[in-house]
Amino acid sequence: MQYVSLLYLLVFLPLALLIYQLLPQRHRWKVLLAASYVFFFLMSKQLIFYLFFSTVSIHGIGLWLDYCDTAAGTGTEEAAAAKQACTQKKKRILCYGVLLHIGLLLLLKYSSFFEQNLNWLLLKLPVPVQLPTLKFGVPIGLSFFSLQAVSYISDVYHKRIKADDNLGRLALFLSFFPAIVEGPICRYSETAQVLYDGKPLAYENVTFGIQRMVWGLFKKLVIADRLNVLVEKIFTNYRDYSGILILLGAVCYTLQLYADFSGCIDLTIGTAEMFGVRLPENFRQPFFSRTASEFWRRWHITLGTWFKDYIFYPLSLTRSVKQIGKKARKKFGRHLGQVAQVFLPLLAVWVCNGLWHGAGWNYLFFGLYYFVLILLGNLWEPAAARIAKFLHRNRDGVLWRVMQEIKMAFIVVTGELFFRADGLLTGLTMFRSIFTGWDGAVLKNGSLMKLGLDAYDFWVVAIGMVIVLVVDLLHENEISIRKEVAALNLPLRWTIYLGAVLLVVIFGAYGVGYLPVDPLYAGF
Amino acid sequence: MEQLIKILENINPDNDYATEDCLIDDGLLDSFAILELVSALEDAYGIEITATELVPKNFNSAQAMWDMIQRLQKN
Repeated sequence: MQYVSLLYLLVFLPLALLIYQLLPQRHRWKVLLAASYVFFFLMSKQLIFYLFFSTVSIHGIGLWLDYCDTAAGTGTEEAAAAKQACTQKKKRILCYGVLLHIGLLLLLKYSSFFEQNLNWLLLKLPVPVQLPTLKFGVPIGLSFFSLQAVSYISDVYHKRIKADDNLGRLALFLSFFPAIVEGPICRYSETAQVLYDGKPLAYENVTFGIQRMVWGLFKKLVIADRLNVLVEKIFTNYRDYSGILILLGAVCYTLQLYADFSGCIDLTIGTAEMFGVRLPENFRQPFFSRTASEFWRRWHITLGTWFKDYIFYPLSLTRSVKQIGKKARKKFGRHLGQVAQVFLPLLAVWVCNGLWHGAGWNYLFFGLYYFVLILLGNLWEPAAARIAKFLHRNRDGVLWRVMQEIKMAFIVVTGELFFRADGLLTGLTMFRSIFTGWDGAVLKNGSLMKLGLDAYDFWVVAIGMVIVLVVDLLHENEISIRKEVAALNLPLRWTIYLGAVLLVVIFGAYGVGYLPVDPLYAGF
Repeated sequence: MEQLIKILENINPDNDYATEDCLIDDGLLDSFAILELVSALEDAYGIEITATELVPKNFNSAQAMWDMIQRLQKN
């Protein structure tokens, strides 16, 4: 049952909303929890065990961490010694918790990748030995709920939050059905209590939620799923194409991924909004970014902040890394010293980011690609500022900005080519073939029409993307279309709502000639 | 406080630190700038800033940073 399926949209969600509203407020969280577990079970069957195990374990670990604090007490010398011992114990408990969840993630998601590579190395031995193949079922949302679980125990450890003694509230936080498949990755402090409160449905929340969902369906069904036909064709038969057509495939995949992922996040945020829950935003017009680091502050925001808060900052502030920074600042000056301090933590973040997306060398390459770009961007920054000053160039001027945005578009498209390619070698072959067989004639000789889409499809995608661009432009200028529409008179407002639904129904890429496409990030 | 404002201006002169109270929430200081600031604050005030302190409420304004510095100096 996908978020775009009729079963979800016309049966599951309306039923959940109805039962939620009919029950007294104190019982509503139970409806959300039951709906979440039913949803999870329908998607992953008996693998729901992992979710349950994860919930029970972080509940226990959280309470254990809290108990250490209360047992330590305050004031006397004895208490100070107990506090010291408690800090050490808490560190150990946190390590167990993190290892348990990350270990589970590694085992289920990455064991076959490690095994394949190990077997490849073992083949080089004089007496080849091969490890047996281990196959594990992977539950939906494993990469997402594991990160939420780690953030919960880490926040309890750092006393940012109190451990939750209510297993139900914690279970709901970890499993909330709109966010379980693709995130956004939520924080306990922002989400758990709001979910548990069980606010009554409100007209404004429901209409705003539906608006957001329709917008998500538009991006997913009209643009992303239509582009999937062309992307599949080019990436599967990449040896048959070169030059412009490979570039077209990479551009179309980038657009598909954006429309698919941000569309599914719109569906998630819209659904949660109907229940009166505000989930964190995951996108902020990423294609208006001017640098690689800015791109990642606008694209998959909750993943970026998770890595920043739980890997980048803690590693950067360890004593040994600080020492490196101090020595480097003395030797190379303030700026280079700072870059030296963040080198290792940044590398760790991008290795994790790459591998989080999937078990494959191309994903690792994808992570390292951004690591290098961000590092170079930071090294280059003072020189760029000096050059702009010398040339009397306004770096915030429109022309400069647009040039940087175009540069970033090329960088993103290149990264996504490797991300989508079936392995690193395929990615390299495809990237190389962009620069060979460059023939503008393919745009006129009918080659475009042999990629699975006809002229109608190309027009629908083009107009759809223009609409997305206009909406992104308005959002970039802090204009809220939803509020503008909500302020219109009733007939006009509902004409727009129904028109939007009709647009999705008429122009959606489903049925004959189109394959149903699972949300792309559900696979990560 | 004056010294703190000078440190901040040294790291990023584009912000008005006397009035700005959403330095993190509005993305006016990125993670690189935050770490540079942490190093500068540790050197200037003889404090140790751990990862636990790196939350927006401690860095959203110069006043919030000043409060954090004073708290850490007392500990």
